Amino acid sequence: MKLKIISTFLLGMFVLLGLSSCVKEDNYNGPDASLQGNVFEDGTDSTVQTCSGNFSIRLEQLSWSSTPTPQDIPIKIDGTYQNSELFSGHYRVSIHGGAFWPIDPVEMDIAKGSKQDFKLTPYVDISNFQAQFLDSNALTLTFKISAPIDGIPDINLIQPYVNTTRIVGPGASIYDFSDQMKDITIPAGGKAWSDFTDADKTRKIVIPNLIRGRIFYVRVGVGFNNNDKSSNLSNIIEVTVPQQ
Amino acid sequence: MIIAGLLISITSCQKLDAIRQDVLTDDQIFSSEAGITAYVAQEYRKLPIESFEYRPDGRNDGSGDIGFNLHHEWEHFYRAGAACGEMVGPYGGTGDIANGFGYWPYADIRAVNYFIATLPKYASNFTPDKVNNFLGEAYFIRAYYYFALAKRYGGIPIITTVQNYPQQTVQELQVHRNTEDEVWTFIGNQLDSAYQLLPASMGALERANKYTAMALKSRAMLYAGSIAKYGSQNFVDGDARAQGFAGISADKAPAYFQKAIDASKLVAEGPYSLYRKSADKIKNYTDVFLDATSPENILIRSYYAGDPERCNSWDATFSPQGKLNYMSSGGGSRAYPTLELVERFDSLNMVINPDGTPRRFDHPADPFQNLEPRLRATVYFPGDVLRGKVFDQREGIYLTIFNGTVADEVAKPSGARSYLSSSDPTITYNGALGTVIGGAGMYPPGSPDNVTRTGFYVRKYIDYTKTVDQVNLFTGTTPWIEFRYAEILLNRAEADIETNQLNDALTCLNDIRDRAGAPALTLTDMTVDVVRNERCKELAFENHYWWDIRRWRVADVWLSNAHFKGLYPYYVENEGKYIFLKETENFNRNYNFDKKNYYEGLPGGELATNPNLYPNNPGY
Repeated sequence: MKLKIISTFLLGMFVLLGLSSCVKEDNYNGPDASLQGNVFEDGTDSTVQTCSGNFSIRLEQLSWSSTPTPQDIPIKIDGTYQNSELFSGHYRVSIHGGAFWPIDPVEMDIAKGSKQDFKLTPYVDISNFQAQFLDSNALTLTFKISAPIDGIPDINLIQPYVNTTRIVGPGASIYDFSDQMKDITIPAGGKAWSDFTDADKTRKIVIPNLIRGRIFYVRVGVGFNNNDKSSNLSNIIEVTVPQQ
Repeated sequence: MIIAGLLISITSCQKLDAIRQDVLTDDQIFSSEAGITAYVAQEYRKLPIESFEYRPDGRNDGSGDIGFNLHHEWEHFYRAGAACGEMVGPYGGTGDIANGFGYWPYADIRAVNYFIATLPKYASNFTPDKVNNFLGEAYFIRAYYYFALAKRYGGIPIITTVQNYPQQTVQELQVHRNTEDEVWTFIGNQLDSAYQLLPASMGALERANKYTAMALKSRAMLYAGSIAKYGSQNFVDGDARAQGFAGISADKAPAYFQKAIDASKLVAEGPYSLYRKSADKIKNYTDVFLDATSPENILIRSYYAGDPERCNSWDATFSPQGKLNYMSSGGGSRAYPTLELVERFDSLNMVINPDGTPRRFDHPADPFQNLEPRLRATVYFPGDVLRGKVFDQREGIYLTIFNGTVADEVAKPSGARSYLSSSDPTITYNGALGTVIGGAGMYPPGSPDNVTRTGFYVRKYIDYTKTVDQVNLFTGTTPWIEFRYAEILLNRAEADIETNQLNDALTCLNDIRDRAGAPALTLTDMTVDVVRNERCKELAFENHYWWDIRRWRVADVWLSNAHFKGLYPYYVENEGKYIFLKETENFNRNYNFDKKNYYEGLPGGELATNPNLYPNNPGY
């Protein structure tokens, strides 16, 4: 009987010994850091005109690896970004994609409540954007485009974006009133800014057959032949299509 | 109890070294030609040949996404051409295939390296010629793997010896990427070695001979030349580009193009020629893909009638089955040629009057009688017949014709157009035709896609000798033609025009066009665009177009939020006539190619195992 107890005890000990080598205590912190901020248009107090998918904030955790897998925080339509589930550490933070003049990446430590704002200059400035119903249910859009800094990539797209919500832009629009209304005189391969005459820079788009009585949100965009084919966008205007 | 424990520990020290009966040893493989053939057959089976059943999006087989050698793969409509404009198909967009499936065949390359290293030890079992032939075949196979890697990723590690773990350290095994230029040069050199060692025939069209090696070289060197020339004009910046892993400098292009020309000329010394057996040019072109005796075939992949899992399902997945058992007894179609592809051959403007109204036709086949024979043999048009049934597809029936021009009519939202439509081929109406849409289609927007979305069906590779009963999933035995002489002529013509050798390019193109029933070109017609267009027509649906638009660096322009069109037949009831409207395909899908997709990103799992593979391709 005693032998049985001892041998069972020994057996139990060996099992425990064996198993304990499989147990490793995870004493790393969870993702309790956060990063948020605004992306301003350089020289103004307002955030850039953008939408989801236009560009992102790229994080590379240098404190983890010298070849880190990038992690992106998407920009929101109001020009702000936030991720509250990050691992704290030392990061390189940069702007990834978008139709803006490149800026240097920022190296910073990210911990609880970290903030980082950015200032970007768009390739093209869209100004004097107006949306009016001059003729029943056809919407006339007028706007001017200018390039603050020389040397922008070729332009390959100018089109309106129309949607039923305030979330409007590339990827969030009604095809018949948006992509179908793009300027077909601009070649898909791109048109150089130097080929834009002054008349080309004052633009008008007419969107016919809008549904009467409905409220739409509309903006215009200028797309480039850059790496991610991104666009500069105008402000958003809310319109109500007249009943008659 | 303790004694039992001691006994157990003692017996666990015994070695179990009985010989396995289920694994072939080197002695068994390398002792005879049969053994070697079995080993090589396995290598051919794993070759990344993009045949009928290749899935460019990969398919999850339970252990990850793979695109080749899938078990029980029958969904041939998941085809690269259906994501990039040759066809519209089940893919939601180009993005479904643009990032690939992480193809990384280094385990298969290791098997070839092992073969090359081990064969010399057993050379005494064979004549020197035979040893050379086997080695040459191995070099071809290895070059083929590296070609599949290079066209996806650019520069990847070149490994020509067998790696062993744990005999080698992890550090030693974490190899770096070679530059893209080095990889393409390596492929060319491997194929030169293969050419020296292989015979003029291996006795089976499924195996490579010396001309096959040069056929692959003519394709690969053309790809490298395009990437050097056009990849230097249209690229995404990044570390990988700066270090030569993604991209080849433009000054290397002429040499690559010349290598492609020289390799094509060596293939021309072989017994190959364009298939011209039949005087009827439509029948002739159809039979190019069905006649096992065609002198155009250089390398094929065969299917085995004795085992359904080794058969393909091409007829069953491209013949209409909207109406049950219409032209197939099983499966069903989901991918359809676009109007844009059809109009590469011939304009279809005969369907419209000068004033913009639709022209009337007595029979659905009437507009298409004078089209290029090769086009008629590549695509099925309304009015064609297969397996005793008519391609009677129509989008619907106008009880009376609409007012105004075609352009105005098709611009209307679908709810504002007034024609009878149906999503059921058996639904009838009270009129001349009986059914609303015909046994071969077509449905209104929002319906399933098992009938044509464009008004056309694929004809290439369809076996018209089979009856409806004989067509079903896993019954197809038509071989896939991986290399045919027409491609060699096109490779040569394209490399010619890029190096200003216009006369040779003209001769090659006119040979193809004569066989196709197209009028001959003259020197003044010869431009890069003309040569490219000829390639798009001749090699339609053969898994070339996706790689061609990538290496020409035009994919991001041609697939810039692109939508595709079809030719929609309608019957006008009160006139008893047919009309055909060019309109957007009814799914109105968006196809967009990102510039970064000219290179696939290196597979994440491999980057994690081997950080020396960084930098990843630009944009990833």
